[in-house]
Amino acid sequence: MQPDTSAVQIEPCRHCGTDAPVDVHFCPRCDRILTLGRHGDYFMFFGLHRRLQVDLRDLEQRFRMLSRQFHPDYYYNASSTERLASLERASYLNDAFRTLRDPVERLEYLLKLEGFAPKEARQSFEKAPADLLEKVFELNEELEAIPEMRAGGARPEDIEARLARAREPIESSLAEHQRQVERLMAQHDTEFEAGDREGRHRTLEALQRLLIERTYLTNLIAIVRRESGGEAAAQA
Amino acid sequence: MSHVVGIDLGTTNSLVAAVRDGAPAVLTGESGDALLPSIVTVGADGTIYVGREAQRRLLTEPSRTVYSVKRFMGRGIEDVSDEARWFPFAIGGEPGGVIRLRLGDRDVTPSEVSSFILKELKQRAESALARDGEFDPEVDRAVVTVPAYFNDAQRTATRDAGRLAGLDVLRIINEPTAACLAYGLDKRHQGVIAVYDLGGGTFDISILKVEDGVFQVLSTNGDTHLGGDDVDRLLVELALKDLGLDTSSDAGVLQAVRKAAIQAKWDLSEFDRAEIVVDGVPGRAEAYRRGITRSEFEALIAPIVSRTLQPCHRALEDAGLKPEQVDEVVLVGGSTRIPMVRREVERLFGKTPHSELNPDEVVALGAAVQADILVSGRREMLLLDVTPLSLGIETMGGIVSKIILRNSTIPASGSEMFTTFVDNQTAVDIHILQGEREMAADNRSLGRFKLRGIPPMPAGLPRVQVRFQIDANGILSVHARELRTNIEQTIEVKPSYGLTDEEVERMLIESFEHAQQDIDARMLIDVRNEAETIATATEKTLRRPDFDGIAAAHLPPAEVAAIRTALADLAAVMAGDDREAIRTRSDALNDRTRHLAEVMMNWTVQAALAGRTADDVEAKGR
Repeated sequence: MQPDTSAVQIEPCRHCGTDAPVDVHFCPRCDRILTLGRHGDYFMFFGLHRRLQVDLRDLEQRFRMLSRQFHPDYYYNASSTERLASLERASYLNDAFRTLRDPVERLEYLLKLEGFAPKEARQSFEKAPADLLEKVFELNEELEAIPEMRAGGARPEDIEARLARAREPIESSLAEHQRQVERLMAQHDTEFEAGDREGRHRTLEALQRLLIERTYLTNLIAIVRRESGGEAAAQA
Repeated sequence: MSHVVGIDLGTTNSLVAAVRDGAPAVLTGESGDALLPSIVTVGADGTIYVGREAQRRLLTEPSRTVYSVKRFMGRGIEDVSDEARWFPFAIGGEPGGVIRLRLGDRDVTPSEVSSFILKELKQRAESALARDGEFDPEVDRAVVTVPAYFNDAQRTATRDAGRLAGLDVLRIINEPTAACLAYGLDKRHQGVIAVYDLGGGTFDISILKVEDGVFQVLSTNGDTHLGGDDVDRLLVELALKDLGLDTSSDAGVLQAVRKAAIQAKWDLSEFDRAEIVVDGVPGRAEAYRRGITRSEFEALIAPIVSRTLQPCHRALEDAGLKPEQVDEVVLVGGSTRIPMVRREVERLFGKTPHSELNPDEVVALGAAVQADILVSGRREMLLLDVTPLSLGIETMGGIVSKIILRNSTIPASGSEMFTTFVDNQTAVDIHILQGEREMAADNRSLGRFKLRGIPPMPAGLPRVQVRFQIDANGILSVHARELRTNIEQTIEVKPSYGLTDEEVERMLIESFEHAQQDIDARMLIDVRNEAETIATATEKTLRRPDFDGIAAAHLPPAEVAAIRTALADLAAVMAGDDREAIRTRSDALNDRTRHLAEVMMNWTVQAALAGRTADDVEAKGR
């Protein structure tokens, strides 16, 4: 299902009853902070378009500016409705900032907004991409050799070197991956500007595939790290 | 209008501060002391003493005295079993419930003990404001600081203590961030700041980014069980070993050893050598003396200092920064006076740490600044703090599913969907946890609740959305809504290590009952002060060099003898708790000295009229 972003949602101000669009934070008439209620989305909240490339300095500035408007510290003497509105709006702002400042979280969020399957659902039914399987096998072989080395009394630095070697191809794939993601993000934004809905959808599909691969790659690296961590502990 | 203050409720000492004429200042006691020892004694008659008086009684009545209560806030008996033996007071309570501390004949919760300290601070602030000429010195609201690494239960226990003390706790803020606010006043800092806070009982490290007056905490880490107390303990162990004693020895002796160890620790921050000196150890004719050099001391405490470095690295990693990217380092807490601590911090960050503000006072000053921001509506500064620990719920197999990740800026929220497992199930059990571990059992249990009122439906059909909200104090609240029926659920969280509202209510009522006792204590002190004034004035007169001459001329010898008797009678009851006796005898002394006062007055007037000083008159009289 594709959420309709063209219609402006309206919610009345709890204080004076004036209708206010959900993406404004203060009542246009009485200037009081509005309860969150139904909301648009994180991008709208920050006054941003649904673009994947975000200027982090600009985002941070918006975050600080909005924090200064919503923070519960400034609503101690206000009515309970306003205090609640401030708490909700500040929470939502913090959640939104946390999501949008991280490129991967941002991408996940946009995919969800655009109606793609959520991360959790995806992982359960998708299989590991075929070209990654080979790398997984290689890595497993390397990792299996480690307990033998340890049992054979190998020096910790040798084991560490072997682990680093095992990690190297995965890390270089991840770097390559990163470049692809960045390229596609830029492409998505161009398509967004041009109003190319179909092109944009295709790009997002490609990005979703990349995200799944990425999850595998980061998991593999985490496995090697754990093995390294175990090595450090064994030395200590 | 009533006043609002900032309070640093410390493990060892507590302070209160307020913004006066635009600048934060510590509010001191009558004798000018800023630090209130966080020690509480209950006298045999139930009177509560806080601070220096309690500190004195720690040596004479160790079993009626409680200190380091902050260590027990929001915790269970099973959390403190290791250290309980170090304390001379009994520590009890049901496993899985709130700790109870034995204070004289009463069993009290840590929140109650803290409320006694808070009440004392409130009173201290009110008299300081009155001295300062405030027309209405009432203090009824406060910002109270806690270690950044305090969990929900510990924060809630602190808030409860405020309620019990009759203070509306406007905000609970983290100590390192408060310190930053205090520093932020003079200089417009820009950049990344690391706050290294090693207090009596806890260690905190926070990494903040300051820009446009917004103090944003990027990450925080620490250890709620690491601090100056551990240093003291090492020195105490050293002395006890020499003396052939252990922690089961007489509580009075243990306190004396502890006091001597702390003195030696302080000395070692200034000198290369110090001595632990303990008088009156049973079975020893002479005082025990143990010399210790600074290098021995440093070898002893090195493990403690290095334990602080790991949280620093973790906090930096969470903030995505390297040590060299930190622009400024701020030191907080008395333990940062130890030269080795300073050296290690300097080595880690590669820069000299700030210590312009008194490390004991900086947290209270920051709390006062925050209090002022809250009530004044000033917006030039804003503090954005984080939650130190991840919040999650227990799922199938005892695994934790995280809902709000650690180091998330607060207020923060998160939600989770729940459903039923059997047909027509109307309730679901939910277990809330805080911590970073995978398994529920390894994390701190915040509470369990039963989600009730789910409309009877086939299994798996109800969709209950549970929303977790962490407010700006780092305290959790839970709301639930069944999405198919849109019914809002009422949730009652039974806090694992906290007090229920009913318990707080009951304690408040009890504190009103004890209020009579506390009023009695204050009246006793008032009577004693008055008696002291009369006694001192009389003694002073009797000691005058010209007294014998004046007496010979104007006072019958029997009257002088009667005055001396009345004075001795009063001195005999003065130290006791019998208010009536003190009052009667001080009144008697007052009566007996009325004629004396007249005589002395006349003498002075005559001397003045004659244009001579009393000394001249005396000289002539001879």
